[in-house]
Amino acid sequence: QLREDEEAAPVFQYAGKAARRKDRVFVWGFSFSGALGVPSFVRPDAGWKKPRRIQPTPYRLETEEKISSAACGYGFTLLASNTRDITKVWGMGLNKDSQLGFQRARRDQTKGYEYVLEPSPIPLPLEKPQQTRVLQVSCGRAHSLVLTDREGVFTMGNNSYGQCGRKVVEDEIYSGSHVIHQLKEFDSRVVQVVCGQDHSLFRTKKGTVYACGWGADGQTGLGHFNITSVPTKLHGDIAGVNIIQVSSYGDSCLAVSDEGDVFGWGNSEYLQLASVAETTQVNVPRHLPFKIGKVKEAACGGTGNIVLTEEGNVFVWGYGILGKGPNLVETAVPEMIPPSLFGWSDFSPDIRVAHVRCGLSQFAALTNKGELFVWGKNLRGCLGTGRMEDQYFPWRVTVPGEVVDVVCGVDHMVSMVRSFT
Amino acid sequence: LNAAPGRAPRQQIRFLPAPAAGGGGAVELVAARVPVLADHPLVRGPRLRRLKIGAGHRLDVKASGVFVLGIGHGNKLLTDLYNCHLTKVYTVSGLFGKATDDFSDTGNLIEKTTFDHITREKLERILAVIQGANQKALLLYSNIDMKTQEAYELAVKGLIRPVAKSPPIITAVRCLQFALPEFQLEIHCLHETQQYLRKMVHEVGLELRSSAVCTHVRRVRDGVFTLRDALPRTRWNLQSIQEAIQNCQLKVETELEKTLG
Repeated sequence: QLREDEEAAPVFQYAGKAARRKDRVFVWGFSFSGALGVPSFVRPDAGWKKPRRIQPTPYRLETEEKISSAACGYGFTLLASNTRDITKVWGMGLNKDSQLGFQRARRDQTKGYEYVLEPSPIPLPLEKPQQTRVLQVSCGRAHSLVLTDREGVFTMGNNSYGQCGRKVVEDEIYSGSHVIHQLKEFDSRVVQVVCGQDHSLFRTKKGTVYACGWGADGQTGLGHFNITSVPTKLHGDIAGVNIIQVSSYGDSCLAVSDEGDVFGWGNSEYLQLASVAETTQVNVPRHLPFKIGKVKEAACGGTGNIVLTEEGNVFVWGYGILGKGPNLVETAVPEMIPPSLFGWSDFSPDIRVAHVRCGLSQFAALTNKGELFVWGKNLRGCLGTGRMEDQYFPWRVTVPGEVVDVVCGVDHMVSMVRSFT
Repeated sequence: LNAAPGRAPRQQIRFLPAPAAGGGGAVELVAARVPVLADHPLVRGPRLRRLKIGAGHRLDVKASGVFVLGIGHGNKLLTDLYNCHLTKVYTVSGLFGKATDDFSDTGNLIEKTTFDHITREKLERILAVIQGANQKALLLYSNIDMKTQEAYELAVKGLIRPVAKSPPIITAVRCLQFALPEFQLEIHCLHETQQYLRKMVHEVGLELRSSAVCTHVRRVRDGVFTLRDALPRTRWNLQSIQEAIQNCQLKVETELEKTLG
C-alpha cells in the first residue's frame, strides 16, 4: 500500500535540464564609504536595521547585468558589464574627485553627489554607445580608467598629477566635474589598463607599456621623477619585450613578459626590487632575475608582491604579512607558499592556484576548483573571513558559489561568482 | 572459555593424621601436599560468569561495518583510543529523487523531485565546498592561536586535529560511483553519527536542486581497524577472536604511543 502511495505521489521539478548557472557579485569590507553598494548599511531604510560599518563575510549584491569586470579603488568601486546596452559601467563609493563621473543629485540638479551609496550608471561620452563594449575597468586612489574595445580609454577623476592623461590644470576643482577624457593615441590597441595610487599604466596589443601620472617614486618608469601628463612609452629592460600583463596598486609596478620573465619599477622601500637595485626608488623598468620558473601572472600590492608560476606555485616577497606565518615579515627574494595551504593533499592532488590578486596589504588566490584564499592585514574586515584579526597564512573564504574572479581594494573586496547549479 | 583447561588448583601443605609406624592406636602427623578445597572446580563454580565488553564508537541499527569492542582489560584502551581523535571512513550510498523524514529510504516519503539535470561535475563541486567548510571548522576547533608560527607549521603539514569534543567534522569526501539515480561517496570524518551522514546526503540533494536519501552507511575504517581486521558473522568464535586480538595489539600500541606520547 505504501509503495503504491509513493508511486502515485507528484514529482516536483526545481531545475530543468537547461538550468544555467547564475552569475552573482559578492562584496565585503568597509561599507560606510558606500563602496559596497548596499545603501541600507549606511542609511538603514527600516526601523529595525542598524547601520553596518563593516560587512565581515561575503554579501550578495544585486546587479542588473552580468558583471564581467570590476575594480576597487580607495573607497569606491566600479563594476562593468560586457553588454552593448547604453549603461555599461556602474560606480559606487566616494565621489569627491568625480572618480565616478558626474552623479547628478536629485535635490539640487546643479550639484553632484559626493558619496554614491548604490551602483549608479556612469555616463560615458561614447560615439557609438550601442556598439562599443567595455572590456575592463581600473581604479586608483582618486581616479578611474575605463577600457573599451574600439574607442580607446576613458579617464575621470583627480588629475593633479596628470594621472588621467590630460594636462594638469592649476587649482582645478575636481568635485562635481563633468570632465571625462578620452585617450586614443597609442601605437596599437590598448588591451589592459592598470591604476596605481596616483599613476596609470596602459598595456597595448604589441606588448608595449605606456605610463602617466605621478613619478616621485619612479612608478612611471620613464627615467625621471617628474609628473607626466601624457601617456608615454616605457623603455629600460622592457624595450622590445612582449609584455603580457602589468600590475600595480600602490607606488611600485610589475610586468610579466610572454617568456615568463618579471620586470619591476617604482618604489622599492619595502625590498620589492632590492634584488636588482640598492636605491629605494627605481625609475626605469628592471628585469628581476628570480629563478622560480616561468611566471604566468604577477600582482603588485602596496608593500608586497606575489607571482604565480606555470607549475602553479605561488611566490611572495616584500614587506608585511606575506603568508608564511608571523615570522616572515620581509624578504627581498621570493619565497614559495606550500601548496598544501591551498587545499592540495594526497586526497585531492589536482588542486592548483589559477589566479593571484593583490590589494594594498592583502593577498588573494583563486584555485582551479573555484575556492578563494585570502591572507594579509585585515583592515576593517576586508579579508571576508568573518573575523577581525590579521591572517598570517592563506585562509579559505566561504562563498556560496564558484569564485570566478576577485578584486582587492584597500578596505573592501568584490568577487564575481557563479552559482553551483 | 570456561571449558578450556584452567589453572591448576593451588597446593598447600597440611599435616594430616596418619596411623603411626608402630602398632596400636597412636596417631602421627605427616606432612602432605594436598590441593586446596576452595580451588576445586565444584566448589568454585565456572571461572568466568560475566565478561566486561565495552563498545568503541557507536554504530546504529541501520548501518553496518567495523565495530570496535574491548574485552575485559581492553576497555581501558578504549578511552585512550577515543582521545586520539582518529578519523573514521564510511562508504555512503545514496539515491536521488526522493526526500524522506528520516533521510533514509525506509522513512515516510515527503517529496519526489526530478534529477536528470544532475551531473558528476556538479556533485563534485558541492563536495569540494563541503570539504572546504569543514577544513575551516577543523582549524577552529583545534584550539591553536592562529597568530603563531606554530599554527602555520601545523597547517602546512595538515596535522591539525581537534583536541576536545567538537561537532561532526568531515575531513575528506570523494565520489566513488555515480550512476543516476544512485551514487556512492567515501567520507572521512570525526565525531560524527550515522544520522549526521544521512542528513548530509539529504543536504547534498538539496544543494543540487533535487532531493536525495541515503540507502547504505558502512563504516570501512575506525582509526587503526580496517575491514580486513574485522570479523564477519561466520567467524564469531573464540579462536578467531583470540587471533584478532593478538594481531591488533601491536598496531593499537604503536598508534597510542604516536598520538598520545
